Amino acid sequence: MTAELTFDRVTKFYGSVIGVNDVDCQIGPGITGLLGANGAGKSTLIKLASGQLHASLGRVLVGGHDAWSTAAKRLLGYCPDLNTFYEEMTGREFVWAMASLYGYSRRELKRRTDQVLDEVGMADLSQRRLAGCSHGMRQRIKIAQALVHDPPILLLDEPLSGIDPGGRRSVNELLFNLAERGKAILISSHILVEIEHLADRVLMIARGRLIASGTLAAVRSQMEDHPQLVEIVCEQPRRLAALLIESETVLSTELHAGRLQVRTTSARRFFATLGELVLEQGIEVERLETLDAGADAIFSYLQQGT
Amino acid sequence: MTQLRAWLMLVWLSFRRLLWSSNSLMALVPLAGCLLFLLKRRFGASGFSEHQFDRFSNGFLIEIYLSIVVPLCTLAFAAGSIGGEREDRTLLFILVRPLARWAVLLAKVAATLPLALGITCGGLFVFCTLAGEVGRAAWTDYVPAVFLTTLAYVGLFHLFAVAFRYSTILALVYALLVEVLLGHAPGIIKRVAVNYYGRTLMYAAGEPDGLAPPDPHWFEPFSPIVAQWTLIGFFVVSLIIAALIFQRREYRDLA
Repeated sequence: MTAELTFDRVTKFYGSVIGVNDVDCQIGPGITGLLGANGAGKSTLIKLASGQLHASLGRVLVGGHDAWSTAAKRLLGYCPDLNTFYEEMTGREFVWAMASLYGYSRRELKRRTDQVLDEVGMADLSQRRLAGCSHGMRQRIKIAQALVHDPPILLLDEPLSGIDPGGRRSVNELLFNLAERGKAILISSHILVEIEHLADRVLMIARGRLIASGTLAAVRSQMEDHPQLVEIVCEQPRRLAALLIESETVLSTELHAGRLQVRTTSARRFFATLGELVLEQGIEVERLETLDAGADAIFSYLQQGT
Repeated sequence: MTQLRAWLMLVWLSFRRLLWSSNSLMALVPLAGCLLFLLKRRFGASGFSEHQFDRFSNGFLIEIYLSIVVPLCTLAFAAGSIGGEREDRTLLFILVRPLARWAVLLAKVAATLPLALGITCGGLFVFCTLAGEVGRAAWTDYVPAVFLTTLAYVGLFHLFAVAFRYSTILALVYALLVEVLLGHAPGIIKRVAVNYYGRTLMYAAGEPDGLAPPDPHWFEPFSPIVAQWTLIGFFVVSLIIAALIFQRREYRDLA
């Protein structure tokens, strides 16, 4: 089984509106975060991959199979963002029912259901009716039904929303374990910080276009020649500010409680200048931090460029 | 083997959910109405006598049971099997499993048939038994017609469920207006209604016992063989069209 999801120059139209535009990427083993604002096209991408939508142009392949095919669906676990279930069932009954649609024997069904409920931390609570379960419990049951057939590829649409911090930690651990076992996991979230800590790679999408992809560090390097806010803690912040403001890479300097904040035009050239200056002037730098290089900042910046 | 087992599990899951759903209660409502009507007639002053086969057939089984109750009972299950999942937005959990779309549709039909046929043919049995002597002859005469008419409605309402978002409402409008109005319209327009063929079968089956349409010139029946195959055709063609639509339909159009 190949743990690989391929978007081969995929375009999706909704009538005259374009949902995703010429998306071309491969998602392999590990955790890949899918970032995008509402309406950016990330749900469309996930729906294309889970065989809910047909691509207008291009192909979506799941382990080498067309995403619409039953062979692809066997390789795929999908946790949707909708919050509807067979409410009359218990969590265990629901997971069991979903597992039964893969044609397992009764013994195998029981084994898989028990195992996956244990993995998502719902073993003790699985006899509750879904209608009476909290949002967090329902989220975990949704993850369980996606994992129950042990698929090599997982699509998780906002899987952590509504889960308490403890539960979130356990789900994160579960996802890390699954990634270590070689599964390809595509996870979308509005909580960008979560993705930052969870994902090995990110796909950033805006207005239907893939605007950046790769590790967060690689994406960050794509904006080395772009503005950034850098905070410096040093012995002589005023002196350093005066020296830096003369550099053409520095837009502004500000002092906040003894900390120097520098807005640069080009991070790469600024760091080169700073290195030379502190060596020449003998200024000791205690700490250097890029304040807006997180996922949110990168995404906001890249989005402006589309 | 695993595909077959998965399919059978879907049939069982769908059957169980339909059986214990509000659809079952909805299907019992028109039957309960019929029961009250029949009990009043059976034990009232104008009860059925041995010579009132024609009155029992025309006045109750054909005009009320076959024309109104059978489509309503059938739609409670048939429109609810896929239509209910569409309206509840739970169909997605089935569509992401490794079952072909046509197999999902067939599983839903297979789950619906025993319930729909059980309630329409079972209802006929209960009413015929309650009607006394006239009912015993009516049961053997009419059960094939009720069976085939139910089959045709099951196919048709599954087509509605796949093709239209609010299929239950549409099917209800269809059962109450189109079937009743068009089925009783003059000329050949009545031939688009399923119950016309069911009534044709019932009149043909009841003829040896003295049954005749109230106005034979108005009714203009087909031969029973044509009516029988037309009802089977309704079922098969509806399912083929439904499968073709369902096979290519994107989930956003089904939610």
